[in-house]
Amino acid sequence: MSVDVDRIVVPLARVKITSDALHKLSALFTLFMLIALFAFGNAAFLSVGNGLTVLLQTSVIGLLGIGMTLVIVTGGIDLSVGSVLALSGTVAGLAVKAGMPVPLGMSMGIVVGALCGAVNGIVVTKMRITPFVATLGMMLIARGTALQITGAAPISQLGEAFGKLGNGSLFRVIGMGSNGLPKVIFPGIPYPAILLVVVAVTVAFMLRRRSIGRHIYATGSNEEAARLSGVAVDRTKLAAYVMSGALAGLAGIVLMSRLVTAQPNEGVMYELDAIAAAVIGGSSLMGGVGTVSGTMIGAFIIGVLRNGLNMAGVSAFIQQIIIGFVVIMAVYVDQLRSRR
Amino acid sequence: MNAQVKESRPLVEMIDIQKSFGGVHAVENVSVDLFPGEVVGVLGHNGAGKSCLMRILSGAMAPNAGRIRMRGEDVRFVSPQDARRQGVETIYQTLALADHLDAPSNLFLGRELKTRWGNLDDKRMMVEARRVLHRLNPNFKNLSDPVSRLSGGQRQVIAIARAIYFNVKVLIMDEPTAALGPAETAMVADLIRQLRSEGIGIFLISHDIHDVFDLCDRIVVMNRGRNVGGYHIEQVTKDDVLSLIIKGEMPDGWRPRNAASALQPGLNSH
Repeated sequence: MSVDVDRIVVPLARVKITSDALHKLSALFTLFMLIALFAFGNAAFLSVGNGLTVLLQTSVIGLLGIGMTLVIVTGGIDLSVGSVLALSGTVAGLAVKAGMPVPLGMSMGIVVGALCGAVNGIVVTKMRITPFVATLGMMLIARGTALQITGAAPISQLGEAFGKLGNGSLFRVIGMGSNGLPKVIFPGIPYPAILLVVVAVTVAFMLRRRSIGRHIYATGSNEEAARLSGVAVDRTKLAAYVMSGALAGLAGIVLMSRLVTAQPNEGVMYELDAIAAAVIGGSSLMGGVGTVSGTMIGAFIIGVLRNGLNMAGVSAFIQQIIIGFVVIMAVYVDQLRSRR
Repeated sequence: MNAQVKESRPLVEMIDIQKSFGGVHAVENVSVDLFPGEVVGVLGHNGAGKSCLMRILSGAMAPNAGRIRMRGEDVRFVSPQDARRQGVETIYQTLALADHLDAPSNLFLGRELKTRWGNLDDKRMMVEARRVLHRLNPNFKNLSDPVSRLSGGQRQVIAIARAIYFNVKVLIMDEPTAALGPAETAMVADLIRQLRSEGIGIFLISHDIHDVFDLCDRIVVMNRGRNVGGYHIEQVTKDDVLSLIIKGEMPDGWRPRNAASALQPGLNSH
């Protein structure tokens, strides 16, 4: 029988739980604890409708968080995503209002986001301004531009097509109720959620399986070593900022589409939620560490907290306090573990 | 050095290299050369310009003036990648490893192996890394751990493996044994001899006079950014070398120990 034991024990011994996986597991555990807690407090929390609401609300923070993760892993930070979101959304809104077809107008929004990211990247790599300052500047520039081009007024009456991306859903099943009126049997999977999954999978693949991903980690881990190893460090950073900007643009059109209104005041402080999602998910602001899956868990922890606390009637102010504590605790627990 | 080596043309010629930072001349009109199968020690105290000179050859730094020729042809290194393409590999004193990545990722960083679809071929990189690392150190384990968790010796092995894996012709070693124990130092010394026998040219930056006399065929001494002497190792004593390093000149009344070798090629003292 000892042979059999060996056969079992050896593979088990090989299963090493890396610190990264451990962090993700503990974050995932926290997420499920929160869900259980809120479900216990309010049965409606676990309903399909509320689940989809959380999904919808989290998709914007999730998209921003993925871009933020890319930048944070290179050792930088992008404070401009909330403002870029607003600028991209308003540009898309203005374009559609001016008669441009909706897909084209929305693409313009994403391009504007990517351009903002490119400016961030150039300021960081060519002008050698620290990412904090560079993106702080862009935060003001993008917000100011959004307010200026709209006259600080929301753009409404954008038409039904503009709202499709944010409010539509796939596999929506509508049957006929017994009273002869249409009845929603399955509300469908919201487009923003599908978009989030597609983006998350694509970016995760890029980080793990493409050399640009490897270079992003190497740049954040030891920039000088990466440069001496032949990694085009500046181009790698630029790519990260452009992707962050483009994803902020995407998040912007999703959000404005959901509101069917282009709001230049939207997305204030969203960059902080995105940073919190990345950090809760295990990203290190020192660079070199972070995953898309971790950030997704982080985004959902924030989303579930907000939604659950809302349903429990906790005020928005208290919510901020709680999320603040969660961020600090997440990083503290991580530090305790890596000190060992 | 054997006759065959003497007859071949230089692998590397650095001619009248100049580099200054602000008003400070880090490297002033320095010329050195390197033949295949030769180990040249680059000596000097801290700030003498030896690391700066080697960084110029490795493409990490651009000179203000001067030329670099490889096998008789002019080359220009704008980035470390240019130098590597010509077979110039460098083992930096800091090792230049990305701490969060594992050994194979570090070994292939900037030159990743890819599949047909352009994706990273981690399997093949792992197999290759295991092969080359085990050649240098049969006990090398933890290939999939982040290199920050490895010992100084293991990290050094990765840095060496990275330099010799890709068809190296000129190897620059910056204090390769400074962080190593006796067994690992012996391993590096053996490796240097083996690479030399394969016709690879090596620049060895070292503070350890013992290592230098043990391994080098020739020395170049730098003092305040200038090349103050190039000698065959048989020509000089340790005291001579120390005098050159500290004072920038030979002791009064110095004569080469072995006059016959004074006329050999490859000397470029100013």
